[in-house]
Amino acid sequence: MPKTSIRTKNLSKTYDNQTVVSNVSINLPYGGIFGVLGKNGAGKTTFLAMLMGLITPSEGEIFIFDKSLKLHKYEILKNINFQSPYIDLPKKITVMQNLIFYARLYDVIDKKKKILKLSEDLFITDLLDNIYGTLSSGQKTRVNLCKALLNDPKLLLLDEPTASLDVSTSEFIRKYIKNFQKKNNSTILITSHNLEEIEKLCSHIILLDKGKIKFDGKKNELFKQNKSSSLKDIFLKDDK
Amino acid sequence: MINRILALLIRYKNISFGSFPRLLSIFYWPTVQILFWGYFTNFFMSNGSFGIWSALNIILSAVVLWDVLFRGQLGLTMSFFEELWSRNLPNLFITPLKDIEMVYGLIVTSLVRTLIGITPAVFFANYFFNFHLFELGLYLIFLFLNLIIFGWSIGFIVSGLVLRYGQAFEELAWAIIFIILPFSCVYYPLDSLPNIIQDISLFLPTVHIFETMRLILIENKIVLHNVFIIIFLNIFYLMLSILFFLKMIFIARKRGLLFNQGE
Repeated sequence: MPKTSIRTKNLSKTYDNQTVVSNVSINLPYGGIFGVLGKNGAGKTTFLAMLMGLITPSEGEIFIFDKSLKLHKYEILKNINFQSPYIDLPKKITVMQNLIFYARLYDVIDKKKKILKLSEDLFITDLLDNIYGTLSSGQKTRVNLCKALLNDPKLLLLDEPTASLDVSTSEFIRKYIKNFQKKNNSTILITSHNLEEIEKLCSHIILLDKGKIKFDGKKNELFKQNKSSSLKDIFLKDDK
Repeated sequence: MINRILALLIRYKNISFGSFPRLLSIFYWPTVQILFWGYFTNFFMSNGSFGIWSALNIILSAVVLWDVLFRGQLGLTMSFFEELWSRNLPNLFITPLKDIEMVYGLIVTSLVRTLIGITPAVFFANYFFNFHLFELGLYLIFLFLNLIIFGWSIGFIVSGLVLRYGQAFEELAWAIIFIILPFSCVYYPLDSLPNIIQDISLFLPTVHIFETMRLILIENKIVLHNVFIIIFLNIFYLMLSILFFLKMIFIARKRGLLFNQGE
């Protein structure tokens, strides 16, 4: 088992003289749920995108499972997956056709069996023959989560996994994520504006502010440091 | 009321004049139509010796082969645009799918789409108009392959431009084929064009492909020199366009564009 899941060294991203992520160095152990927090424009999505190779860093290095992302990209990507409400699947084909396509890309053995198992767990079996574009946002989120779990990722990146979902679906997704992590001992990195969600799920928090790390450590340490009992208080204090 | 109509007018002016490809399509179409029909009529007026069936056969062969190029290009760009439109690119690019595998996938998809699209057209032309495309024999396969390859080259350039510069360039996917149409000598020979345009047109493999087609259908003859030029130009453009497309993906990663694409 690798020692670290994500290690970044002086990671920066600059667009036309505007720095979005600045000198971020983190060292996350293997296994666990980690939260990345920050206000709009703090650089969370850019940071996540760099970890998946979707955005090339301007400076710095990324190591996933102790291996350089630059040198072992495709080997690493086999064990990573991602879900975001801002990214979709092709709308004109069925859920099953979409999932089979991704199962192929990840070389999943016994694709149908895997999809049916995950569909049962995520209560989307009835949706498999539906056209993806006709689904509600809650259904799409569950289908996207199914896609994100097809390859049993060792590193799962979730960008606002419960955005625009009702209370019960959100709770279901949170429980599912927690159980998945426990069962597979995988690493999950979550960004969310839902501070309660991060509080419930994550033991370790990375706080980004204007692209820089403001805090990186245990949740309790953050509370202690800020003399607060909730993330909401910390954010509100910061605004003042 | 006038104010609201004015608001619409300004809005559509901004949309139409806001991007170069859209602007180009507004001014280019009338000119292309005039040029194309002018050269076409000139050629047939000065070659009255053609029987009506021979002329029809040449025109139909050209129509079908031109459509191969159009389908080839469209098959490639539309497959790529489907991923863009559905905001699916990030999902694709975080899988172990390599950029070059994407290139191969688009090529094979375009080939299949073109074959499916063109088969009924050939069948109907044969059945209703006593069309003799198959008189081209084995050369038909050669011409077909080379037209579709040039379609892929254009397709990769357009896809790369859309990836890099955004949806304003999507217009090119439909327009670009017709931009090169008057210079490709599809329905009339190269010497129908003014000398200066001939010099430019010679760089298009389509010119040599349609000259070859006419030579086979009219004189039942093949010029080997033309065949080599077609192969050389097509390999050159295909390599160049693939490198361009891969470079655009590289730039898209650098500029964070893969996340911001879609409708």
